[in-house]
Amino acid sequence: MTETGKHSLTEDAQGIAYGATMAAFGIVILTHLGLVTGQTAGLAVLISYATGWGFGPVFFAVNLPFYVIGYLRMGKVFVAKTFVAVALLSALSLWLPGQVSFAHLNPWVGAVLFGFLSGSALMALFRHGASLGGIGIVALILQDRLGWRAGLVQLGFDVILFALAFLVIDARAVLISALGALVVNLVVAINHRRDRYIAT
Amino acid sequence: MVEHTPSPDRIRHSAVDDAQGIGFGVIMAALGMHILTHMGFVTGQTTGLAVLIAHLTGLPFPAVYFAVTLPFLGLAWKRLGPRFALKTLVTTAALSALVAVLPHWVEIGRIEPAVAAILFGLLFGIAALAAIRHGGSFGGLSVLWIELQDRTGFPAGHAQLLSDVVIFGLAALILPLDTLAYSFLGAAVFSLFLAVNHRRDRYVAA
Repeated sequence: MTETGKHSLTEDAQGIAYGATMAAFGIVILTHLGLVTGQTAGLAVLISYATGWGFGPVFFAVNLPFYVIGYLRMGKVFVAKTFVAVALLSALSLWLPGQVSFAHLNPWVGAVLFGFLSGSALMALFRHGASLGGIGIVALILQDRLGWRAGLVQLGFDVILFALAFLVIDARAVLISALGALVVNLVVAINHRRDRYIAT
Repeated sequence: MVEHTPSPDRIRHSAVDDAQGIGFGVIMAALGMHILTHMGFVTGQTTGLAVLIAHLTGLPFPAVYFAVTLPFLGLAWKRLGPRFALKTLVTTAALSALVAVLPHWVEIGRIEPAVAAILFGLLFGIAALAAIRHGGSFGGLSVLWIELQDRTGFPAGHAQLLSDVVIFGLAALILPLDTLAYSFLGAAVFSLFLAVNHRRDRYVAA
């Protein structure tokens, strides 16, 4: 068995591969249903719907500015792992819809499945020292510089995203999307505990 | 005295923690079983046994799965206590019910068999990991392996792999070769995922 306190390269690789794969499966469900979500992925989904460009390239592009900020705030290992996770998710979300399709999908059930798949993906990425990009880092910097609460900044960002979503998808789809985003946030809020999962 | 003991909150899950962990496990496992049965794949452990029995008898898979887990509840009670047995019963009942209704909500169109196998392995792996970390179980044979790991330190992932060989041997007699190969891929992803990530030394809460 490998050391308790530190993940090996292989362990991090499988954790990041798991996170990117489950996140991509979540995105297949989300975009099949025409729903939106929060944070950086939500911004990419919204741009993708508004422009007709694919989620994968948009998500990859949207994340680019954050690597510079992330490098200054979180260090190069975190930035490198996040880059790999984002690139892998971008590539998988281009490829996966051709491999998995749904004949019928209840939108409420789909939103809940999206929430658990993405929440679990984020947990794996966080525990293996990666993330899915930018907004969270900006929120941490604003907390340091201006004293704004990082959680509230992220919430504010999602409120703006969901308000904009009304311009792109119908009100019922926004409501169903909110359920999915709630599940994601609950999974992370309850389970992201550095004192319980102690390896880094 | 009290201030020298570590915070109990760190090492002990609340009822809400456990309920959401096991609930998550049930939902991920149901999605995995839905993909598995849609593709006609087999797998190891209790689920694999249930797939084989459902295949041979023509009975619905969710009912067979629930029935197969029942005899092991006695063992769970004897070795791990009535609380664990009751939790296992609730978990397997919820899982069977969800697998029975999920096809009405999620109708799969087309899945590339290799992709289906990998998704199944990851979904089942994360479901098992969440259930184990939150003191839950999907019943059946897994009770034996968790008990074995806790008593002797023999990794649950390895014990599962060995018993899977027996179930796959039986499946080889009734399934086409390509279905068997994809099934093996799914079971390998599941077993590897659990062997790498099931670490009591890293996830310290119980």
